[in-house]
Amino acid sequence: MGSTISEKILARHAGKSSVKAGEVVVAEIDFAMVTDTRAANTIKMIGKLGDTQLKFAKNTALVLDHYSPPPTLEAAEIHTAMRSFAIERETKLYDIGDGICHQVLPEGGHLTCGDLVVGTDTHSVTYGAFNALGTGIEGTDVSAVMMSSKLWFRVPETVRIELQGQLQPGVWAKDITLSMLGRFGAEGLNYHAIEYVGSAVSAMDIDDRMTLCNHAAELGAKAAILEPDEKTYAWLRAHGARAPLPTFADADAHYAQRIVIDASSLAPQVARKHEVDDIVSVTDIDRQRIQFALIGTCTNGRLDDIRQAAEVLRGRKLAPGVRMIVTPASRQIYLAALREGLIEILTTAGASFEAAGCGTCVGITNHLVPGDGDTVISTANRNFKGRLNNKNADIWLGSAATVAASALTGFITDPRTVDGGTWRSAA
Amino acid sequence: MSRSSLLITGSALLLGDDVNTDINCSNKYLPGKDVDYVAAHAFEQLNPSIASDFASAGGGILVAGAHFGINSSREQAVHVMRVMNVRAIVAKSFGRQFFRNAINNGMPVFECDTSLIQKGQSLDIDFAAGTLNVDGKLLKTSEPLPHEILAILSLGGLIPFLQKYPDWNFA
Repeated sequence: MGSTISEKILARHAGKSSVKAGEVVVAEIDFAMVTDTRAANTIKMIGKLGDTQLKFAKNTALVLDHYSPPPTLEAAEIHTAMRSFAIERETKLYDIGDGICHQVLPEGGHLTCGDLVVGTDTHSVTYGAFNALGTGIEGTDVSAVMMSSKLWFRVPETVRIELQGQLQPGVWAKDITLSMLGRFGAEGLNYHAIEYVGSAVSAMDIDDRMTLCNHAAELGAKAAILEPDEKTYAWLRAHGARAPLPTFADADAHYAQRIVIDASSLAPQVARKHEVDDIVSVTDIDRQRIQFALIGTCTNGRLDDIRQAAEVLRGRKLAPGVRMIVTPASRQIYLAALREGLIEILTTAGASFEAAGCGTCVGITNHLVPGDGDTVISTANRNFKGRLNNKNADIWLGSAATVAASALTGFITDPRTVDGGTWRSAA
Repeated sequence: MSRSSLLITGSALLLGDDVNTDINCSNKYLPGKDVDYVAAHAFEQLNPSIASDFASAGGGILVAGAHFGINSSREQAVHVMRVMNVRAIVAKSFGRQFFRNAINNGMPVFECDTSLIQKGQSLDIDFAAGTLNVDGKLLKTSEPLPHEILAILSLGGLIPFLQKYPDWNFA
């Protein structure tokens, strides 16, 4: 019996020739990450251990992204503690405005194909876009990794999802992941690893592949991993990553499920208010007014997303009464958008830019607080009631193209109807 | 080290399916409240008497349905349960991160169909053998917890475990 990608990566890191789903292994970690939401407890826990040597500190990044900028004195003090810890213990440090953890780790060259990477955030599954097994953990886990460079794992079952055909112009990885949530339900793939394969995945560029893997967190997935290709290797090389160890599944690997989906027939999808798995095609939405539009987050704050928004809004203005915030996922993306003139296009259209970080997604920085009865359309990955600090407001989710098209009209809008459908293809 | 054993006994206290421990057993929506306060009010939206039932029984075994701890990631939930004297949790399935947090913080978890267990029944769990007895009769068997997990649990969690076995060489 052959192995899936996750089984191979875990076996290799556990020093075994093979592992099977359900087995517990102790595996060597390649890189670890702690965000500011879990750093206080982690630092406290390590502090209690006294002079313990942190042999893995050099392969650990502390990222100041959620409280970015800190809205309270408590948050500011967590940041101060993180900076001191990073200097004393010689970890990597990404400060406010550098970007969201899941963007700065790959951009910083900290991971490569075949790696095992952990982070204190459920969206650590994003690293699967680079053929790495990325998974979310908690403070105790990451403390253990810093102490010992290892962690225990239960080997997950894998679900193989083949995306055949090609996405239509104006349809993106976001729309696929939303349709997966409609199919499996939130947490519907709890414990599982997902392997996405097929022509529609091969055609995606890296930004869209990261969206595809990132959003698997809402499915409850432990990992979402892609096969690597020339695009993967080129991207990793350009960002100074270590030499890749490309990892593919065996033809006779065992999967919990094998699913085949025709990507060509997919329309843009949206998640309706409050539930990340209440999914409908945008074509089925009739006159749903919006007051706020948000483009950003670790799911869709990348250059391709900002390009989509600029494509829709070039030379135009937001609909009256609509406010739009754009939060690039990292400083590098902010700079790239600046150089391409995208910031000028969007700012002229009426959008406001926020420094790179997670703040607006989780409602921490209060850059965007909807009023009672307001509706937000967002590229975020979650729309729970009250996520933006108002339980009397609604949050819907869609792709950057859908969010921008909706900001243009003031109603949730199929992006393919803008510009007479002159969308460039996803590749 | 010989193979770890782990036996837990207690009376059953029941919760249902899809329990989110961030909402029901942490201070996520009780800013500034400490673990003792949360322990006195834990799960009250789901079962108003459960915290006082635990207190009057001097602790017990929490029995839940599918997806216990789903959507939750706060380790504090496990600390709260320890204050409540929860000795172990039996559930049909666990949220992924909750499962990790429980083991990392020394809380034994047993995965099996719990639909036949009633409130107040006496439970005996042998985690190394993977057996659950209810009122003295074998009800369920589950995959035995692996050696590594038993070792972590018997030392009270992952950090105490690593202090004793810094290189994970405990076999």
